[in-house]
Amino acid sequence: MNIRKAVITAAGASQRTLPLQTLVDRDGTTKTALAIIVEEALGSGTEEICVVVHPGDAETYRKAAGAHSQRLQFVEQTEARGYGDAVWCAHQFTGDDPFLLLVGDHLYLSRETRGCARQLVEVAAAENCAVSAVQATHESKLPYYGVVGGRLADHRKGLYLISEVMEKPTPTVAEQRLIVPGLRAGNYLCFFGMHVLTPAVVKSLAADRAAGGKMHLSHSLMKLAERERYLACELQGRRFDIGLKYGLLNAQLAFALSSPDRSEILSGLVELLAQEAR
Amino acid sequence: MTTRLIEIITATDPLVRNQSLEALCERASATELIAACTELDAFRRRSNNLYERVRALFFLYAIHRFHLPEKLSAGDHNAMIPFRGFEHLLQRRFEEATDEFLAVQAASGASDAISSALAATYQRLAFQTLADQVRRSVRSVRGNQWMFRMGHPADHPLRLRSELRQRAANGSYPVLRESTPVRMDLSHSGWSDIFFLGMDFPEGARVLNVSIDLGVHGRDTKTRPPVEACLRVIDEPVLRLTSVDLGASANITELAEVFDFARDYLGLLKAAVIAAGIVPPGIEGSGQSLADLLAQVVGPGCGLEIVSHVNDIPKGSRLAVSTNLLAALISVCMRATGQATALTGALTEDERRLVLARALLGEWLGGSGGGWQDSGGVWPGMKLICGAAAVEGDPEFGISRGRLMPAHRVLNEPDVLPETRERLQQSLVLVHGGMAQNVGPILEMVTEKYLLRSAAEWAGRQQAIGVLDDILVALREGDVRRVGELTTRNFGEPIQTIIPWATNAFTETVINRVRAEFGRDFWGFWMLGGMSGGGMGFIFEPGQKARAQERLQEIMSQAKRELQHALPFAMEPVVYDFAINERGTWAELLRGEDALLTGGYYALHVPRWLRADPKTLTSARRAELEQFSLACRNRPELEHMMPALFERLLPRPKSDGGRKQTLEELLDQNGFDRVQHEQIREDLKHGRVGMAQNRLPVSASIQDVQDGDVFDAGRPLADSYREAGLAALKCGELAVVTLAAGVGSRWTQGAGVVKALHPFCKFDGAHRTFIETHLAKSRRVSQLAGTTLPHVFTTSYLTHAATEGFLKQQENYRYAGRLLLSPGRSIGLRTIPMVRDLRFLWEEMPQQRLDEQQQKVRDSLRAALINWARTTGEGGDYTDNLPGQCLHPVGHWFEVPNLLRNGVLARLLQERPQLRHLMLHNIDTLGADADPAMFGLHLAQDACLTFEVITRRLEDRGGGLARVNGQVRLVEGLAMPREEDEFQLRFYNSNTCWINIDRLLEVFRLSRTDLDDAKKVSAAVRTVAARMPTYITIKDVKKRWGHGQEDVFPVTQFEKLWVDMTALPEVKTQFAVVPRLRGQQLKDQAQLDGWLRDGSAAHVASLCQWS
Repeated sequence: MNIRKAVITAAGASQRTLPLQTLVDRDGTTKTALAIIVEEALGSGTEEICVVVHPGDAETYRKAAGAHSQRLQFVEQTEARGYGDAVWCAHQFTGDDPFLLLVGDHLYLSRETRGCARQLVEVAAAENCAVSAVQATHESKLPYYGVVGGRLADHRKGLYLISEVMEKPTPTVAEQRLIVPGLRAGNYLCFFGMHVLTPAVVKSLAADRAAGGKMHLSHSLMKLAERERYLACELQGRRFDIGLKYGLLNAQLAFALSSPDRSEILSGLVELLAQEAR
Repeated sequence: MTTRLIEIITATDPLVRNQSLEALCERASATELIAACTELDAFRRRSNNLYERVRALFFLYAIHRFHLPEKLSAGDHNAMIPFRGFEHLLQRRFEEATDEFLAVQAASGASDAISSALAATYQRLAFQTLADQVRRSVRSVRGNQWMFRMGHPADHPLRLRSELRQRAANGSYPVLRESTPVRMDLSHSGWSDIFFLGMDFPEGARVLNVSIDLGVHGRDTKTRPPVEACLRVIDEPVLRLTSVDLGASANITELAEVFDFARDYLGLLKAAVIAAGIVPPGIEGSGQSLADLLAQVVGPGCGLEIVSHVNDIPKGSRLAVSTNLLAALISVCMRATGQATALTGALTEDERRLVLARALLGEWLGGSGGGWQDSGGVWPGMKLICGAAAVEGDPEFGISRGRLMPAHRVLNEPDVLPETRERLQQSLVLVHGGMAQNVGPILEMVTEKYLLRSAAEWAGRQQAIGVLDDILVALREGDVRRVGELTTRNFGEPIQTIIPWATNAFTETVINRVRAEFGRDFWGFWMLGGMSGGGMGFIFEPGQKARAQERLQEIMSQAKRELQHALPFAMEPVVYDFAINERGTWAELLRGEDALLTGGYYALHVPRWLRADPKTLTSARRAELEQFSLACRNRPELEHMMPALFERLLPRPKSDGGRKQTLEELLDQNGFDRVQHEQIREDLKHGRVGMAQNRLPVSASIQDVQDGDVFDAGRPLADSYREAGLAALKCGELAVVTLAAGVGSRWTQGAGVVKALHPFCKFDGAHRTFIETHLAKSRRVSQLAGTTLPHVFTTSYLTHAATEGFLKQQENYRYAGRLLLSPGRSIGLRTIPMVRDLRFLWEEMPQQRLDEQQQKVRDSLRAALINWARTTGEGGDYTDNLPGQCLHPVGHWFEVPNLLRNGVLARLLQERPQLRHLMLHNIDTLGADADPAMFGLHLAQDACLTFEVITRRLEDRGGGLARVNGQVRLVEGLAMPREEDEFQLRFYNSNTCWINIDRLLEVFRLSRTDLDDAKKVSAAVRTVAARMPTYITIKDVKKRWGHGQEDVFPVTQFEKLWVDMTALPEVKTQFAVVPRLRGQQLKDQAQLDGWLRDGSAAHVASLCQWS
């Protein structure tokens, strides 16, 4: 599988401004969140990027993308029909190709030399199937994420064969259907905000769109799990949801602590703490 | 034999596994049985398998309870039950208790006393093991586990569905309303829905369960789901719970209060909130804030209001109303928090199963527990519920053979055609007989008999399984008449074979009268639930149903009137209308103007709102009042609300003004001594008398009697005694006095019925009362002596009229001899207990600790009762109940002097001047009769009093025969200075006492001729009474209210006891140890089954001549 395309969704009414926020990246330069996400995508080897935006936002986003702005295509999501619909909006762009899917309000920090997106794309290419990045998450966070259930794929650590996908399940349902052997009690595999998907997902979304109503990506991913080999992969990295309270601050701190300015940031923090203690 | 027993337990072959213990024990010697017990004890300690451990424990219990005692030598009086072991037992440290008792057995040899202690310990350990496993299984059900992990509001993973947070234009939040049918068990499953049966014998655990809507015949115009639960968001960070039918409501602001189940009548709602995961069990005791938790789940500053309503269906209906209400509440909470996919309409099968699992959890939390079929109302229509084998992956796999949760199969058209369902509804008359009984002991008996595979009971279980198959065939064929035949057979044969106590005199009277009146049109009887007398079904030819409904009401009411003093009735019998509910539990979302709670909710709350300062009413509440008032004008079902509200706002004077007057009259009529009452109250309030002051001084020396202090009448007595006794009987020197003035508080847990009239057991094919049984013994002795034996029953204000009426109705059971009632002459008025005494009783006295959750509920209840005593006024008169429940008899000491005061003894002596002796005994000492040999012994002893004592078993608590400071006398348990003293005393008082009349009169300084001088007799009685200690006791009294609801209150009363006569130095008293079968007492209905099985009943039968 050759993954050359990436889709970034940023059309949600509450997240329109998030990709436009600026922060200092690991290399010490100031960028918008969108630029960092685009770099994450490009770092994975993808060549074409489509950003799904709210009507009228394209120009602002193009400016925010900085150096890579010319490599971006924009499509508008004209109706607020859910995340599934946002992905479907890029169907002409994705065509019959597999694609990397990212969200505009998540930033990633890899624990190794390869970026998170690259790790994912390499797994998908090797396994030749759709793969979603996941992270073991405590059940108290279930109201915020899509969750997958399954078992280890071929006994390989960190790689799971998905059998169930549910959007924001209650712990009651999660305990009945989403327990994954090997995880600590009360922990589930929640989406990391990063997927490599196959055209089957877009077809499924198209069918959902025809049926009307809200469109959840999880629903199409569940169908995917029923029809194709579909894996989940735990990546060597961390995810920051900049839409959460202090999300941007946390992301900035994590980036700074991974940057050449680490000592300066640490001493600043210590000073702050010392003053607080007084 | 030992190997054989363990083989039976471990066998996989059903033919070996299902063998009964009795058959093997019958032939074994005492030595073999003791050896078998040693091996079994070692086996159960090393086995990891739940089933093996539990069955071995029940084998051990049964050997020590039923088989070993009868094979031990009768003369062994030396073994003492170690107090330490007893303490361990009370604290549920069963293993330590067993070790203590076994150590004594090893040192002193086997004995009746130690066997009784071991039997009790093994039995309780067995049930504890089962309860622990059910609890573990409930917790380990997937979908329940997370709730035990969650301990902080910030981690709460549930969120209220957004639909419930959207206000309408009028500002109201939507109301989510769940309506749930109740369930009936169409075959009676032979109690196979008990969890352990289902988990151990899944193939035999099957129930035909039907969801039904109900209405009370003649009251309701149509049937409807009897159970309703509503939920809505409120603008306060509290949990507002309301039980409409119990008239209780609370704004809960603290997490700890949610877990305080017995604090008010809202325990079921609290259990539902916890079991549904809104306040998960894991957060108990965390010290976190309820407001924070609600902010997380519902939204900042918001809370939840949850309301339950049962459509006035009486308690004890055997239709699992409480469990289905719990299920409805859980269901509405689960829907609201997204744990069910559909907010409205039906639940999916997976969701129903989850509601069942949560209901099991809720019942466990609330300290109760029904069968696994009880949440059947959640499912639609008719269904077969079956035990399921545990397979790999189940939490039960490798632990028990079956799963905790059964499988439900809804019966569809080929199983039961619509026309058959219709015919069934046209034929079946569903009733509530009005009886309220505790079915807990029955369920324990069933479990025990199943594990012992007692031959007859095991065959009965197989037969019941066959009956269910036949009923399914009859339903498939549409043959309702055949269903009636089968349910009747089921009741008459297997059910009563397994549990003889499933039937009672009331049920059989009603069945016989219905059969006599309807003949072939009466197709059958069908018992519901744990035992009959409450919910029951009668099947008729469809054309007769309307008449049958009218007549059944009359027949039941008539039978109740006849038996109301003999059996515990909680309410007037009721006939229901019912319809099969084909959709199961169902929810609706009420929005805008429709977003109202039930009418009963407003009847409860609106008067409070209107009485409050209008300025304090929130705008939301004002809006709701407007909305409700509009609905009252426009909605026909709320038409009655306005008059009901006025009634609440301006209540008419209660008609219980008359009741209070009756209480005063009763006190006057029964010789209530107000001066003495005030004196006792003063003494109580100032701590001069009380539970702690009942005790002898701690300096008193309490020692066991020496061998010469008692006569051993445990072995057959010499012929000379028998001959002398018989000769005196022939001369008419003896009369029997049965103490029947009390109501037997323990017998019916304070229900206030007359124990003497209770038709407690079947003898010779009919239910017999205690009175009839005692008369049957006197009839036999009369025949033996060739002359009739006079028989006196003492009565009190509580029992006199009922006993007199009953005996008249029964024509004195055709007793040929003189039969007299000796009415009481003294009465007491119960008082509100002192907190000090309640604490002494509950905290200082040894108490049986309950299973963890039940203990928690009991502690909470006791805290509430202490608060009740404090706020109602300690030491005040207890008058908030029926008059009869406010009074108390003043102890059986007075019952003998009453014979002197009320002229009964004078009359007897006038009629029979040769009368010289009385045999006095308790109503529940069924083995006591005017045995010629014992009478001869009393004559030979030449004593004023000869008391019969028995060797002590564990259950014989309450004093005994002792040397007190060197004097041999009986000491009441209340007077024991230290608890452990009682455990040094080998002999327990049977309270059977032979009295030499003339010697007793001497003690009172009276002669036979003085008995006509009422003044002199009264003065004499007062003088002796003054020398008798007065004990303060606390008894339970039931207060009934609503539809069959009962509350039990502790009340203080005082009493003087006959045994203290043995302390008077001038009263020459002798003591004789008699066989247990003669001296044991029946205090509690839970004893009946063991009493029947250990040969006691057969012994009593051998003493009786019924006609």
